[in-house]
Amino acid sequence: MTTMTLRVRALQVASIAAMLAAWEGVARAGWVDPLFVPAPGAVAIAFGKIGRAALAALADTLGKTAVAYVLSVVLGVAAGLFVGSMRLLREVLNPFVIALYGIPKILVLPWIVLVLGFGAAPAIFYGTIHGLFPILVLVMGAVRDVDRTLVTVARSYGATTWQLYWKVLLPAIVPSVLAGMRLGLVFCLLGVLVVEMFAGVRGMGYVMSAFANGFQAPELFAATALVSAASITIVLALDYLNEKLSHWRG
Amino acid sequence: MTVLVRLALLAAVLAVWEVAGRAANPLLAVPPSAVLPALRELLLLRSYPDLPASLLLTLREIALAYGLAVAAGLACGFALGMNRLVGRAYGPMLAALYAVPAVVWYPSLMLFFGLDAASKIAFGFLLGFFPVTLAVLAGIRQVNPQLVTVARAYGAGPVRVFASVMVPAMLFTLIGGLRTGLALSVIGVIVGEILGSKRGMGALINHAYGLLRTADYVALVLVTLVLIVGSDAAASLVERRAKRWTE
Repeated sequence: MTTMTLRVRALQVASIAAMLAAWEGVARAGWVDPLFVPAPGAVAIAFGKIGRAALAALADTLGKTAVAYVLSVVLGVAAGLFVGSMRLLREVLNPFVIALYGIPKILVLPWIVLVLGFGAAPAIFYGTIHGLFPILVLVMGAVRDVDRTLVTVARSYGATTWQLYWKVLLPAIVPSVLAGMRLGLVFCLLGVLVVEMFAGVRGMGYVMSAFANGFQAPELFAATALVSAASITIVLALDYLNEKLSHWRG
Repeated sequence: MTVLVRLALLAAVLAVWEVAGRAANPLLAVPPSAVLPALRELLLLRSYPDLPASLLLTLREIALAYGLAVAAGLACGFALGMNRLVGRAYGPMLAALYAVPAVVWYPSLMLFFGLDAASKIAFGFLLGFFPVTLAVLAGIRQVNPQLVTVARAYGAGPVRVFASVMVPAMLFTLIGGLRTGLALSVIGVIVGEILGSKRGMGALINHAYGLLRTADYVALVLVTLVLIVGSDAAASLVERRAKRWTE
């Protein structure tokens, strides 16, 4: 480790420690209302209390997110490959896809809940439409930019349409697919949490809004920290995997 | 040609929606032909007389959230970008926080700021703050270091260097971040309102949905969409201006 990295790490650790200490001090001194801002110590105790139930809720949320994520990756990559490779289709659909990507999907959430009811289905559906669009947009753009020569050569060597997609186009767009997968994951989790907060009966989103409505600040902070930690861990793991894959691709 | 196909597609979607909407349970789906009268009632202030007040409140929440996000984003980006040690220590921490779906903070904000406008402003601020800060950080890295050295040599302090040298040099990146920030602040305020509020467009939408007034709900969503698309169109106009200016 160079001196710079050492100083950077030291500063990071020191600031987090200082922040926690200041927070604990302010809370103990009674400068903030413990009803709204509990001390870190109280949050840690609350974490012990809710631990088991919170982990079950987290597993529920992550399960729904996983289903939504697989759906958005598969659908996004397949649709992106198909639409992106047909010129007319791509030019016709592109503004619609961009518009659907851009508008806040929360506006249709009440209707989704109305139609699909409460429970896992609306969460998975809403998580999927959240994760789908970033992947779709990236894949469509990447397919458009694939070197035409690759396609022409494959065609002239007699590649079937299936081979063209599977052996030429898909490998050529792997970096964009990976970038889309990184973005899509956080979007899927966001979608699932929003539905759980809006109309949940289970899952972390529901648990967190229940704590907020019940003014259980220490429990709420503990639950928030748990979801954040899980999300950061998953994203970092995906980044690590990405890096390994790019090494392997050379 | 493509425009014609696009229009045809749009017409086909509306036709399918009309047919499906008429066949479906009227509580769950409404055909476009039923939305138009509802939209008229809404715009004539018959179905929701407090529409102007709600629109104004939502707009004010967005303006405040975005203003705060821009100010704090510029300040934070400046602080992190001008000092190498500070930037390398806090930059990755900021990026890690960006990897958390922002909605996890919303219950805490609601507990802290209550059900009124403050929690929506705080959430819109939080969403808009990150892209602005990250754009400033990315922009500072693009600035030609020679420009900075010359300005320093002529005695400019860090604030002066930032405002007079760096901001003009990275204007395009900055404007891109400001546009993303605006879009996210708008989304933040609207998500906040729909997840729980007593006033504003989100409250109206929830009210219409809760009473199964589906046609009114669709009309309210359309009005909100105009607000969202309008704000983004304005931002894109500014972006194009800035692009012409930098070229």
